[in-house]
Amino acid sequence: MKQAHCIYQDDTHRWLAIARDPTKPGYIIDTNEYVVVHGEEALLCDPGGIEIFPAVFSALSAECDPTRLAGIFASHQDPDIISSLALWLEFKPDLKCYTSWLWQSFLPHFGGQDSTFITIPDPGMTIRLGGLELQAIPAHYLHSSGNFHLYDPKAKILFSGDVGAALLPSDHNDLYVEDFSRHIRHAEGFHKRWMGSDRAKRDWCERVSRLDIDMMVPQHGAIYRGADVQRFINWFAALEVGVLRG
Amino acid sequence: MNAPERNLNFTSTNRGELARIVLVNEEIKAIVATAFRINLMALNAIFLAKRAGNAALGFGVLSNELRRFAQDLTRHMASLRDMTSGSVGSVTGVVQQQRNSAILAAAIRLSGDGVPGVKDARKRGATRLAEQQAKLRTLDMRLRAAVEETQQLVELGGVLARSAKIEAAYGGGFSPALMQVSTDFAEVIAQIKRSLEVLGKERLVKD
Ligand SMILES: [Fe+2]
Ligand SMILES: [Fe+2]
Repeated sequence: MKQAHCIYQDDTHRWLAIARDPTKPGYIIDTNEYVVVHGEEALLCDPGGIEIFPAVFSALSAECDPTRLAGIFASHQDPDIISSLALWLEFKPDLKCYTSWLWQSFLPHFGGQDSTFITIPDPGMTIRLGGLELQAIPAHYLHSSGNFHLYDPKAKILFSGDVGAALLPSDHNDLYVEDFSRHIRHAEGFHKRWMGSDRAKRDWCERVSRLDIDMMVPQHGAIYRGADVQRFINWFAALEVGVLRG
Repeated sequence: MNAPERNLNFTSTNRGELARIVLVNEEIKAIVATAFRINLMALNAIFLAKRAGNAALGFGVLSNELRRFAQDLTRHMASLRDMTSGSVGSVTGVVQQQRNSAILAAAIRLSGDGVPGVKDARKRGATRLAEQQAKLRTLDMRLRAAVEETQQLVELGGVLARSAKIEAAYGGGFSPALMQVSTDFAEVIAQIKRSLEVLGKERLVKD
């Protein structure tokens, strides 16, 4: 059962993780969706695919008023990220979708019109949400050529899209990484194959090392907390990426 | 229940509609090909009538008329084809809207009716669907009217073919050849009539 878990709260500022759906058919990759709520507004990060829309919508609605959704943040263009766009717009036609400029003319194949998209330039930008300033952090080529992560400096949370993703066995349902060395085995193959550029990887590691991060929340798998965040960055920095096998 | 619903019956009726458009298009293509054949046959008939000289003056006039008929028919079919390709867009709109509405309905079933905004979203979806269906119905009516008009044109073609047969009898030595040509005309026009009957029965939307 997909449920929204509150992973951060400070007054009206909340982060919800809609994670783990054991009832989802096995042929669809499991995804995490995140909702940033601040005051009267909410932003949905990587809303997921068409197939899981009912589950995500109901989990979100159980924890927050869906009419408060002001926008969607799409880290990149993949179907597991944003193919449900038309359905969210069906619910709220004036939703804005923040995404890399690179995908501006591609994402309308999933839905929306010109006015739906707010494009993020390559260096990133500030996204305002009910008085909160979120940062779109460049993560190009990790894995998508136009790719952004979202940093909340107040909550100290980094939404890291496919970076940090782990393809966990179906009986691993922990929300957080509990044992880093055991967990990371499920992330290794994914990062070696999906992440195509060593240079982009090093850039990203450097960039996010400068951020103050309490939690790194990926689109697949469990959430990294505390020291596991830096552990992940170090592990990733040392990993050979862009290889078919090995 | 929180898993995505399998086999949501999004498009079963509209798959039928897209399939109907394909049928209509195929029928139109068949008529266009036949119209092209009439045009060639009429050109041959015109040459034949010229060679037959005075004996086939009437036949020559009719061959010219048949050629004009073939050209008019081609124009009619082109506008019919425009209409059906327009209707592909409308049917797709209906399919998409029905699919979105069905998935949203599944989401609302999971979340409960009390969730803010869901009633409005449902209403908006229903309005959009009704608009798209109305558009499709209008297109269907226009298509039917256009088919009827074409049927009248083909009636005229039938008359021309019959008259050509009569004229062929006065063709002297050329009479057997002219008779053959006019019989071919009559057969081809009968074929178009049959295709138009099929077209006339097809509906882009179910009543
Ligand atoms: Fe991806
Ligand atoms: Fe992904």
